[in-house]
Amino acid sequence: MIRITSCGLRATIQDRGRTGHAREGIPPSGPADPVAFAASLALAGCGDDDAAIEVIGLPFAFRCDDRRIVAVTGRDVRVRTRVPVAGWTSVLARPGEEVVVEGSALTRFAYVALSGGIALPRVLGSRATYLPASLGPLPRPLIAGDELALGASIAGVEVAGRRIVPPAYGGRARAVAGPHDARFPDGSVSTFFSATFTVSPESDRMGVRLVGVAVAPAVDELLTCGIVAGAVQVPHGGAPIVLLADHQTTGGYPIIATVIRADLGQVAQAAPGEELRFERVTPEDPRRSRVERT
Amino acid sequence: MTVRPFGDRAFLIELEQRIDPSIIDAARAVADAWERRGLGEAIPAYASVVVTFDPARTLWKDAAAAAEALASAPPGAASAVAGRLIEIPTVYDGPDLAETATRSGLSTTELVALHSDRDYRAFFLGFMPGLAYCGMLDPRIDAPRLASPRPRVPAGSVAIANGQTIVYPVDSPGGWRLIGRTDLKVFDPAQDPAALIRAGDRLRFVPR
Repeated sequence: MIRITSCGLRATIQDRGRTGHAREGIPPSGPADPVAFAASLALAGCGDDDAAIEVIGLPFAFRCDDRRIVAVTGRDVRVRTRVPVAGWTSVLARPGEEVVVEGSALTRFAYVALSGGIALPRVLGSRATYLPASLGPLPRPLIAGDELALGASIAGVEVAGRRIVPPAYGGRARAVAGPHDARFPDGSVSTFFSATFTVSPESDRMGVRLVGVAVAPAVDELLTCGIVAGAVQVPHGGAPIVLLADHQTTGGYPIIATVIRADLGQVAQAAPGEELRFERVTPEDPRRSRVERT
Repeated sequence: MTVRPFGDRAFLIELEQRIDPSIIDAARAVADAWERRGLGEAIPAYASVVVTFDPARTLWKDAAAAAEALASAPPGAASAVAGRLIEIPTVYDGPDLAETATRSGLSTTELVALHSDRDYRAFFLGFMPGLAYCGMLDPRIDAPRLASPRPRVPAGSVAIANGQTIVYPVDSPGGWRLIGRTDLKVFDPAQDPAALIRAGDRLRFVPR
């Protein structure tokens, strides 16, 4: 069991997401930064399917009643037990010892995984929290004093000290053009892939708003269509929105490009006021940049 | 039908750009066929389907070939699963009922009669959990959305706008015109499926 002693601004239970329910209008939820989340599970000796805690607004602190391996990931995070340890490292938490998760002004989403995983029942196939519809086994932000059961830990002390190299956060995300790129006026797509946007403070788990450069929007109305995380909608005002884990399952704004899954965290972790650029890649080989032919 | 890449793990299959029950059924049939292949989930809407796959299990080029094959030989609207009839007991006392009737040159009684005397098709679900877009409205009671959305619309509100009618599944912001309310729970996470209405169902609003 863990007992939350300091809950941050908003901490929720997340697992890899609630797939298979989009046709009921239910968003996937899951982590805003899937790469950091998966790393936290791996470092804590959890399975891919286990649940961990996503925290916005550090510090976040807790105590375990037994010995656990703890892993904290995210952008610019660190963890303190008796001594401070860098993030992205497996840490041994002793019974009763307070574990404090700290960040900096650049930190947005931090992940806290514990060996054994958070033991809550699945709701509609997932332990992920979707706050707008109060969905999930714990459909509210965590508060100080909350006690959460943990699964049986299979990770031993020998994993403590293991590290995963964090991605280089900051400023760039790879994206595939479209699916509605052909509906935009000439020049909109090249504007999008050459612009330096600024991240708006009005950004959350549903999406990140970009300001600073306007992208000429599509003129024709579009019939509402299905959506995946990473879709970059351009509303009539020309300020793009990159949709994240809590995105609506359908939407009516034309989508100029779609951020690849590996880089959703680059968008989610961009701090308000920071710059963000998009690098055009091909969908069949998204890790390689596309050579622009003009 | 056209197939376009949608990021690195999905495709958008577009049928046409108009709202028509037969196109909606055809889109749903395409989504069903994709999900039967077991590559990933599919999200149908008015005239398009998003089909997803997991690059850890399926190569992009194989998923692309499967999407192209489906688009070139679609299963057709007739193979869409037939819906059920769902009755929605409705108290017609919404805050926008009188104004919406007046702008259509109708009494509230006439508006209620025109809303409740036909069966609607559930086109697809989206926007929020359990929200089914249903249509079409009698053109005589059609009206645009409100100029400024309400910050909070209670779950169970029955609303109309843009030729369609919906039941709000959860408390949420909303810009549709509220003409009534139902006690029926159209979204209940304790149930699986959590959404009462499925695409393809018919809806009948029964005045209470």
